[in-house]
Amino acid sequence: MARSAVRIQVVEFGVLVGLALLVGRAAQVQILQGRRWAEEAQAQRTERIVLQARRGTLSDRHGTPLAVTQETYHVGIAPNELRDPVADGSLISRRLGLTAHAWQEALRRRYAYFAGPYSALEVQPLRTVRGVHLESVLNRFYPDPAVARATIGRLGDDGLAASGLERTLDSLLAGRAGAAVVLKDRAGREYESPARVIAPPVPGLDVVLTLDAELQEIAQRALDDALRRMDADGGDVVMLDPGTGEVLALASRQRDGSARPSAFTDTFEPGSLAKIFAAAALLALRRVSPTDHVSGEGGKWRVPGRTITDDDPQPSLTLADAIRVSSNIAIAKFAARLTPEEQYVTLRDFGFGALTGIEFPAEATGRLRPPSEWTRPSAASLAMGYELSVTPIQVAMAYGALANDGLLLQPTLIREVRDASGGVRYRHRPEPVRRVVARDVAAALRNLLRGVVERGTGTEAALTNFPVAAKTGTARRVVNGRYAAGEYTASFAALFPADQPQLVLVVKIDNPHKGSYFAAQTAAPVTRSMLEQALAARTVALDRARLSTAAPRAAAAPADDDGGLVPYVVPWPYERDSSGVGRGPRRAVPDVAGFGMREAVRTLHRRGFRVALRGWGVAEHTWPAAGDSAAAGSMVTLFADPYAAARVRSRGPTPPRRGPR
Amino acid sequence: MAKGRHWVALWLVAFLVTTWLVYARQTAAIRAARELADLRARRANLDGHRADLERRIRAAESRAVLVPRAQARLGLHLPSDSEIVLVPAPSGSH
Repeated sequence: MARSAVRIQVVEFGVLVGLALLVGRAAQVQILQGRRWAEEAQAQRTERIVLQARRGTLSDRHGTPLAVTQETYHVGIAPNELRDPVADGSLISRRLGLTAHAWQEALRRRYAYFAGPYSALEVQPLRTVRGVHLESVLNRFYPDPAVARATIGRLGDDGLAASGLERTLDSLLAGRAGAAVVLKDRAGREYESPARVIAPPVPGLDVVLTLDAELQEIAQRALDDALRRMDADGGDVVMLDPGTGEVLALASRQRDGSARPSAFTDTFEPGSLAKIFAAAALLALRRVSPTDHVSGEGGKWRVPGRTITDDDPQPSLTLADAIRVSSNIAIAKFAARLTPEEQYVTLRDFGFGALTGIEFPAEATGRLRPPSEWTRPSAASLAMGYELSVTPIQVAMAYGALANDGLLLQPTLIREVRDASGGVRYRHRPEPVRRVVARDVAAALRNLLRGVVERGTGTEAALTNFPVAAKTGTARRVVNGRYAAGEYTASFAALFPADQPQLVLVVKIDNPHKGSYFAAQTAAPVTRSMLEQALAARTVALDRARLSTAAPRAAAAPADDDGGLVPYVVPWPYERDSSGVGRGPRRAVPDVAGFGMREAVRTLHRRGFRVALRGWGVAEHTWPAAGDSAAAGSMVTLFADPYAAARVRSRGPTPPRRGPR
Repeated sequence: MAKGRHWVALWLVAFLVTTWLVYARQTAAIRAARELADLRARRANLDGHRADLERRIRAAESRAVLVPRAQARLGLHLPSDSEIVLVPAPSGSH
């Protein structure tokens, strides 16, 4: 009994010692070393990762995506984890596009890594294969890589913005990366847990560009065709909306097929394209009257320092003739009525020799020397478009000022910036730079340009139903600081339509080798072709209501706001505004303030008015103002503003206004 | 002694229940995380599919594809401006 009691005590003591050791060890692990073990366990079960922010989308003005961010994958293979190396290998090779040799190489490694990146579609069948580890990564993707490539730009191999708008807008598009802790299972697979997000990634903003994908395609195809047909060294096409300064299409191409953004970066001497700016100075300063004539000098005129020639000699020319037939002699003679300062200031006012301010990472200023650096023939040369270098975008904006009643606008490529939820953070509004010429002078200059297409050097660009105003320019090319024999730049600047232009087009062809080198036979037909395609296209940003060859039709049923009037029916064939205005019966302009644009236009159409739009959004007021009487068939300008609705609501019924704001 | 054994049993049961709760919770979390990962994969797959379809639709709709086909198969041509008449939409249409 005594023995067994001793044994029991020994066992109890042993158990106690064991328990004490266990508790002591537990205390050591939990209390003394607890933090280290907890960290080690945490590291085994979890991993801190960076959550990439989704880069914002770039889309065209109609919402067509031009650059999007998508999830792609890098693929890692652990050969020792594969259940069936033969069958799995066949599937993996097929999906990743690996050769048999590459797969055998991968099997020899402990862990094979294929950077890809592979799309979700490509790796989908591999998700369930043991031994395949997918690493998702966001990648930039260009649905149609050829569209506006130089303008949109690209990301570098390091994923950072490298060129074009991707670079300019990087701070908007990039977003902000987040961080999270992911769970890992025994096989090392990672699982995201919503509860373990340390900082959520902030997606980049989406940017709606002013580009019109369809116009862009038209421009690119037309330029490619032209360069191929004329065997030219390169060329550019710029299309923009003169009322807003929004660039609608930009195409640049070099002979080697590259597409650097030469519309922004490469300068050229505009030649006769610049004659209209000399005419602008002459008309604005009233140094010439419509009846003033100068002699054509038989096509050859010697001035101090150079001899000026005309390809199509005329006995006597007015300023309109000088522009129409592109006479060097006549424009040089007229320009002699300007002082160098006046000539310089006018060119400067049109934006030459200065950056346009467009949102592109690289832009050339061109060259416009101040009068102090001029030589004796400089005034004549500048009037003819020499001793001046410009970029195609500068020319487009300068012609845009003529189209926009003399107001020079800042060009833009950005229409809207939206956040991930679709809220608008920024919306472009036309930004006037300066008034270059008065409204009546701009109208007179457009008339001069209209003569070019109707009876002058630009007849190849003429359309049957729509008036076009334009100017040709054929200039010798400077190579290595000298004019190269037989090398020319053919350019053409057009306003479409000539009345209330909606589109400015600039076409430049560098050194055409086949056929004529004159812009009249090279760049002008390209312009015509592009205009025809634009007219036939469905989605192109043209206001077809304003272009309509047909008049607004009367409503099928009288609307309740018609006030009992019989809808005015415009006779067919429709006569242009200039002849048609004032012939119809007079009637009150309806109050459309607060209406949506579509409804406002319809209401005005139903009353028999034609409508010109200014701005967008919600109708704010009209000119003539609501309540004023105007002739049926006359033009009513509808001013709209995206924030007008709130103002209209807050002020109640719209009081009649006198004129546009 | 009997009272002591009951206590031991009670503690053992409590320990087992607690352990089971921790295990069940972890298992459910892993399962949910796995489902979440699967859903994300499916979404990525669908996104990829959509992007691929959009790209193919755009390519098929492009002028580079449509114009030559319309000319060759249907005998169509790009209209000159004299063949284009723009008629405003009648009021009431959308």
